[in-house]
Amino acid sequence: MTMTSENVTISSESQHPRKLRSRASSVRWARRREVMREVLRNPLTVIGVVIITLFLLMAAMAPLLTEANQPDPYQSPRDWANIDAAPGVEGHVLGTDSTGGDVLYGIIWGSRLSLQLSLTVVISTLIIGTFVGSVAAMRGGRIDNFLMRVVDVFLAIPELIFALAIAAILGPSFRNIILALAVVFWVKYARIIRGEIIRVKQTDYVAAARVVGDSTWNVYRKDVLPNAVTPLVVQATLDMGNVVLIGAALSYIGLAQAGLTEWGAMVSAGQSGILAGQWWVSTFAGVAILLWALAFNLVGDGLRDALDPKTEGR
Amino acid sequence: MSITEQQLGNGQPATTSKSDVMTLRDVTVHYPVKEGVLQRVTGAVRAVDGVDLSIPRGQTLGLVGESGCGKTTLGRVIAGLVPATGGDIWFDLDEAAKAQMERLRSVPEKSMSAEDKTIWSHLEANHRLGSMTRERQRVYRRNCQFVFQDAFASLNPRQLVRDIVGRPLRVYHEASGEDLDLKVINLLERVGLGPQHLLRYPHQFSGGQRQRISIARALALNPEFVVLDEPTSALDVSVQAQILNLLVELQEDLGLTYLFITHDLGVVQHMSDYLAVMYLGRIAEIGPTAEVFHDPLHPYTKVLRDSNPSLEGDELDHSAHLRLTGTVPNPIDPPQGCRLHPRCPVSTSECGWQVDDMFLSLETSTPASFEAISRVERSSPFAAQLVMDDDVAALELFTEIQNSRSPFGGAVENIELDGANVSIRLREVEEIPLIPVAPGRMSSCLLAGRPDGIRPPAESR
Amino acid sequence: MSNVSVSDVNNSEDWLLRVDDLSVHFHTPRGVVQAVDHVSFEVRPGETLALVGETGCGKSVTARSIMKLVPEPPGDYASGKVMLRNPATGAVIDMLAAPMDQVRATRGDRIAMIFQDPGKALNPSLTIGRQLAEVFGEHRAQMLLTNAGIDPAKAPLGSKSVASQRAGVIRRSFFNLTHRGQSRALQAAVDASVIDALSDTGIPNPRKVMSSYPHELSGGMKQRVMIAQALACDPDLLIADEPTTALDVTIQARILDLINDMQQRRGTAILYITHDLSLVRQFADRLAVMYAGRLVESGPALEVLRSPQHPYTQGLLAAIPRAGTPRGQLAAIAGSVPQLIDPPPQCHFSSRCSFSAQACTNHVPGLIPLPVAREVACLRFTDAASLGVNQEQMPSHVDLIEVESAEAVSS
Repeated sequence: MTMTSENVTISSESQHPRKLRSRASSVRWARRREVMREVLRNPLTVIGVVIITLFLLMAAMAPLLTEANQPDPYQSPRDWANIDAAPGVEGHVLGTDSTGGDVLYGIIWGSRLSLQLSLTVVISTLIIGTFVGSVAAMRGGRIDNFLMRVVDVFLAIPELIFALAIAAILGPSFRNIILALAVVFWVKYARIIRGEIIRVKQTDYVAAARVVGDSTWNVYRKDVLPNAVTPLVVQATLDMGNVVLIGAALSYIGLAQAGLTEWGAMVSAGQSGILAGQWWVSTFAGVAILLWALAFNLVGDGLRDALDPKTEGR
Repeated sequence: MSITEQQLGNGQPATTSKSDVMTLRDVTVHYPVKEGVLQRVTGAVRAVDGVDLSIPRGQTLGLVGESGCGKTTLGRVIAGLVPATGGDIWFDLDEAAKAQMERLRSVPEKSMSAEDKTIWSHLEANHRLGSMTRERQRVYRRNCQFVFQDAFASLNPRQLVRDIVGRPLRVYHEASGEDLDLKVINLLERVGLGPQHLLRYPHQFSGGQRQRISIARALALNPEFVVLDEPTSALDVSVQAQILNLLVELQEDLGLTYLFITHDLGVVQHMSDYLAVMYLGRIAEIGPTAEVFHDPLHPYTKVLRDSNPSLEGDELDHSAHLRLTGTVPNPIDPPQGCRLHPRCPVSTSECGWQVDDMFLSLETSTPASFEAISRVERSSPFAAQLVMDDDVAALELFTEIQNSRSPFGGAVENIELDGANVSIRLREVEEIPLIPVAPGRMSSCLLAGRPDGIRPPAESR
Repeated sequence: MSNVSVSDVNNSEDWLLRVDDLSVHFHTPRGVVQAVDHVSFEVRPGETLALVGETGCGKSVTARSIMKLVPEPPGDYASGKVMLRNPATGAVIDMLAAPMDQVRATRGDRIAMIFQDPGKALNPSLTIGRQLAEVFGEHRAQMLLTNAGIDPAKAPLGSKSVASQRAGVIRRSFFNLTHRGQSRALQAAVDASVIDALSDTGIPNPRKVMSSYPHELSGGMKQRVMIAQALACDPDLLIADEPTTALDVTIQARILDLINDMQQRRGTAILYITHDLSLVRQFADRLAVMYAGRLVESGPALEVLRSPQHPYTQGLLAAIPRAGTPRGQLAAIAGSVPQLIDPPPQCHFSSRCSFSAQACTNHVPGLIPLPVAREVACLRFTDAASLGVNQEQMPSHVDLIEVESAEAVSS
């Protein structure tokens, strides 16, 4: 049973339409806040949000937390006197690696790289994937067929291998990792949004918009896209975590520049030391990767549950 | 194959009053069925298969039928949501134009005189869906609106009521800004809602309220014709009453024409002036509602009426009621002749029996014979050669069909026995058209025009 | 309709199902929803009781409670008993209080249920034959063994589980190998029972249906299969939860004929849940109307339809479109159904009732008996004194409304 909710009442004075428009936007924001509250009801999601916030703060305040290394802040400052120092030795809270690079420094500045990696990849793939998927779904027919076969070819190759191949061809560098991942990841979004648009196209409200005589572009903008976008948001959130995972894997293999304060590279660099009992480099970097991916997965899952059409708009 | 409406009796055309809002001639909607890797077209779902219809201005035409009969598709074709794959749909023809259209429709282009050609192209540019000028198309769009069955599904869940109802006005640049909002409030009040509902989302309303919003949206452009596709089927009875009352009130106030599509006979009897009954993509019967109910001229209408549980009438004895047998056939391959004949309780031997009908009845009556058929070679829907398992089975089948006194048996023109082969040829029947059988009434049943009417034939089962 | 005469009303020992003061609550994040609120009614052997109401009135929850099918949580049987009596032995079982194995033994055997959407009630990955075999296996394993010529007392080890359709692939193949003759006989017995059950519902070619999957059948056919499955073990009570709502009118008519016919032959009692009052008229002996979780009126079906006592029933009947009603003047009930979350103690219909008075917003009306064999829950039939309230606060008093309303006059 639905009940009309009294969240916005318009008294007779404020029937004045000019105020209506600002009222309208406040109602829309109220709705978004409601959704947000729904999302944050799950304690796991809250944990995820907290962790992400901490990482973001860490990334933003990196120059404040540590002194930026010159000339390249993304290379750890080398303390040649204290190589392979255990955590706590001489001001190195988390220890140093085999070239004297401070682990804590690496973690902090690595968060910037992780953020850069995930944001760039996710945003660019969202845009490309949405564009391709929308064209395919809205046009249908042969264009749809062709584009989807292209997508199928891409999807047939495992993400990691594919990214590996591309990055290897392009040459080892952080920028190339970003590029490789973007090439691999966009197809996922194309497929998702195509599926959603096809589903939405068959709804009666899209038909209603067409009966009114609205143009295809307007129908796409106002009816199709807003209702197709939810799974994309969920997937994008999850991918923020997954991109870093795979990116770390790639730089672990050595496709990033040497000595870069990138978490994956750090895991790789510290690997040889493990047998000698120098666990701290790989472990702390690994934990950072784990926390990052976990946090985004938790938030993504929470979003998915909250935005599930069955519970949405209760 | 088009049938021109003949004028009978008192000289009035079958269903028109002053003029028609929409006129349909032999409209078909076939959805191609593709199979195989190369997606070859192997057949078509004949959702709407030759419909002639006129919707009189200012009246309510009810369209009833069960699921799969094509009424929803027909409604969407009329509203321009789905393109017709055959036939013509004419908008806003007055009597003179209609007469011209009927006359010229069956004339091939080459043999038209120059004058006729101009008349025809004028008609097409101004009145025919699919070939209208952009300007006329706008007029059509604005005047023909649609109310969907599921109000929740037809309202964008992410838009405020204000935007949903105001959308038509925005699209046609009828109003903007404050003016727009005032118009929207006006519309909402018209349907029994109020300004307090403007800034809400669809999910915050009850089913009945959502349907009101849907109606408000349909009225935004001041249309003259509204197609209502089962507008109250999803609502409780008490809410349905409210909505039906509202629709009637709006029709009186605004001079609307309705096409009311439903499967509920009680509702359609209450709401409509004229009634069209559909079955498997074709119209079975059409005429004034009261007459159609009181004295059906098609067995399907009779069955519908008899099957409909009613709060009225004292008779609780249903043994005299007509019932259909079997199930609805596949719309990809509908029966020949009259669509209803395999299931019809009063079918005759002229109703279009084909070879496939025999298999169905054999399967149930004498499964042994049915199992004994090893191969069938069809040369047409009406003629085939059956290869049986052995001579005995062939002889059994032969004698059974020969001695059969069912309508199917009566349709057999020629049957031959040759060893284990049975060749059978049935009377070929063409499409049975919808024809006028009484003043203002049309039916597509062969029995309709006959003196005995819709009654089981003498040689009944 | 069955052959139960109305005068049997006061024979309080001859009942089959007695729902006594049943309340079902649902615990939601927003509060406790009182979906069913102190509902009591009775079904006698062989009679058809129609439980009628609109969306959200609690009729489906009531129906499911009888078989203890309401998921708990979030459901909660807050009060009441659901008592099923064995007409032969007189033994009574309270479905809500009995241990689960007894409840399960009763389900399918003594009470069966058919649902609105047969597609959802049938397992899409099993053939019809398998599904029906399971019903027989569950409740009639002994009978199957006997029909196959196997003495249940001396039955070999695997046979019992094969007969009750619980044997896995390995056990079944083992049984097939070691006792080939018996295995075949058993299978034949199962098939025979299934075919019997299917053809009893008028399905023309049971063998073919038996080896079909649900998606290969039409809606009406699936409904017949569901009826066959429900009636396979000859239950005393059949609960039909809107079984024909999703079907076309012509098919609905045939299914109703079928249910009627089977009832006549087997003497099954039927509890028919529907929102369609016009269906009720055709086949129900008695009618009970629910509104907002409560029973508001009950009595012999034709009587209630002819002269409804409760304002809601009256409104419901008046809202049904009929040929006689002038267009645009359907009597619509204003307002809408109230929230059932922590509702105040009052008559739930009072906000929409044209007769409501102050007392109606303070008191919950109880079921008042009326002649003949009728009950109404409305304060109009109650004495001011019995409530301890002033006369002015009560709605206008009536004893029995003999309404010759528009719908009662046959056209």
